[in-house]
Amino acid sequence: MTPINISLLLFMIGLYGVISKNNLIKKIIGLAIINASVVLFFIAIGYRESGLAPIMSRSEAVDSANKIFVNPIPQALMLTAIVVSISLTAVALALVVKIYSKYKTLDVQKLYEE
Amino acid sequence: MKKYYYIVLLIIMTILIIGSISPEYGNPRNMDYINYYLEHGVQDTGAINLVASIYLDYRAYDTLIETVVLFMAVIGVTFILSKGK
Amino acid sequence: MKNSRIIRTLAQKLLPFIFLFGFYLTFHGHLSPGGGFQGGVVIATAIILLTLSYGIKETENRFKEKHLSVLEKLAILAFIFLGLLGIFFGYPFLKNFLPLGQRGCIASAGLMIPLNLVISIKVAAGMTGIFYALVKYRGEI
Repeated sequence: MTPINISLLLFMIGLYGVISKNNLIKKIIGLAIINASVVLFFIAIGYRESGLAPIMSRSEAVDSANKIFVNPIPQALMLTAIVVSISLTAVALALVVKIYSKYKTLDVQKLYEE
Repeated sequence: MKKYYYIVLLIIMTILIIGSISPEYGNPRNMDYINYYLEHGVQDTGAINLVASIYLDYRAYDTLIETVVLFMAVIGVTFILSKGK
Repeated sequence: MKNSRIIRTLAQKLLPFIFLFGFYLTFHGHLSPGGGFQGGVVIATAIILLTLSYGIKETENRFKEKHLSVLEKLAILAFIFLGLLGIFFGYPFLKNFLPLGQRGCIASAGLMIPLNLVISIKVAAGMTGIFYALVKYRGEI
């Protein structure tokens, strides 16, 4: 069970939460789980066998002595993905607050009948 | 009733996908770009943290648009939850 | 949650240390894992802790909403101004033109330290603004 398989499992768990839960807040939690699984997938792609974190050392002699580093590019891209996940959750929660203050319920089946 | 069809489809997709992906784990393909960042990162930017040198020096324009995305989230939340007349 | 004296005292005493940790993560962004986004979120966490333990009215007397919103907009304009500063000196937009120091010191890597500082201020003010807007809503449609 490599991290790529675990990220796909997390994606399916999040998708199950979005589809088949009747509460609006649980659907939003499912969205956040899907975002986390995408971040895990991208970082797990860039792994190299017995690689170190991409942070160099302070002196020049220790460094670049046949050290294997992990791919630093997907880690820099995932900062943007995390910020997108935060802003999505924030705006979705604001909409849920407005819906509750007007209809007094958070159940999707009851909201369909309104 | 439609929800049960979706859940059965999800379970079948999960089993098929997890069983079929087995990457040649631990060897990225395009090593040219990665080798450029690992070799010349410190002497071009002077920062030890290579991830910071990527998103603050080589691709600082994306970080600028990133902060604008966060600003749009604040605008969205403030506008939705405002006391309009 | 509002009448617990232990939580109120502890939150007030811990506040400067959380700010210090947030600024440590920001200023060492080019030497160790961290940077602007991470430090900004930690600083916003300090103000959220204060809100949870004292109530929204007293916290808003200290960290006003208007000041935070002006600070956030100034931070974005400062980012763009730091990029245009390179154009005044003849370099491309957002190029690292300040002197790169000695590797491993804090005073290295040119334009990265002001950019980290500006990003951290913006993220902290943004997160606190979102939190204030969600807490202060009183059910008006």
